[in-house]
Amino acid sequence: MFTLIIGGAGSGKSAFAERLVQSLPGDRVYIATMQPFDEECRRRIERHRAMRSGKGFATLERYTDLAGLTIPEKRNVLLEDLSNLIANELYSPDGRGGYAALQGVEAVLRRAAHLTVVTNEVFSGGTDYEGDTLAFLRTLARINNTLAAEADTVAEIVCGIPNVLKGEIP
Amino acid sequence: MIFVTGPLFAGKRDYIRSALGLDEETFAGIAVWDVQEQAETDRPEALAAELAQNDIVIATEIGGGVVPIDPEQRARREAAGRLSCLLAERADTVIRVCCGLPQLLKGDWPC
Repeated sequence: MFTLIIGGAGSGKSAFAERLVQSLPGDRVYIATMQPFDEECRRRIERHRAMRSGKGFATLERYTDLAGLTIPEKRNVLLEDLSNLIANELYSPDGRGGYAALQGVEAVLRRAAHLTVVTNEVFSGGTDYEGDTLAFLRTLARINNTLAAEADTVAEIVCGIPNVLKGEIP
Repeated sequence: MIFVTGPLFAGKRDYIRSALGLDEETFAGIAVWDVQEQAETDRPEALAAELAQNDIVIATEIGGGVVPIDPEQRARREAAGRLSCLLAERADTVIRVCCGLPQLLKGDWPC
């Protein structure tokens, strides 16, 4: 089973995704993709760690090459988040491009009992982009759409509440 | 409390005012809007609790664009989003309005 969760900044998408994965029976794995570049990233990571603590997640920090990641089979996996993974694959020295991000997610999906991916709605603030920003947005949008087509369930989170776009919330 | 959210200029205020059949003056007495502008605070829960005393609370969604480079703008967007989550938790009814069309996210239609 595959669930895609999308939302804007501060929409409550992470909290919703965690609750969802927590409600599933079985062991839980959290794949964290944010690199601790600076103080703000570290605070963000810390905030998410605090949110997850006590919820039974085994955390794997992995910034690129999810296809090369060995996770135990049949786990309920929460991947957070797709935007960071794609940025890492596009811009990190060891990154191998947007397609590697998609392949990585699909590799995790094959091993997981249930995969939940958190991604970002960053597409309704204008259209006037260029260079790296434009390339990043195009890549993220293409992968969002590809994963949404593959997913059993797609929900956009609005002020913490799911607006179900496809399937049903497991 | 009815919480109404949605993008900028989506018709949030017009929708809820006319759905409830209120004139401008009555509406202004029981509703607060643009509450996203008050979101930056050290006490978001207290702010949400205070705002939730109103019958109608309206917030514009501002978190759906590209993440701003400026840290203050970034923080402002997140604070606005989190305030909306807190208000939605406290609301009996949550409605999102897009192009003037309402979508019920929580509770029952108010009319």
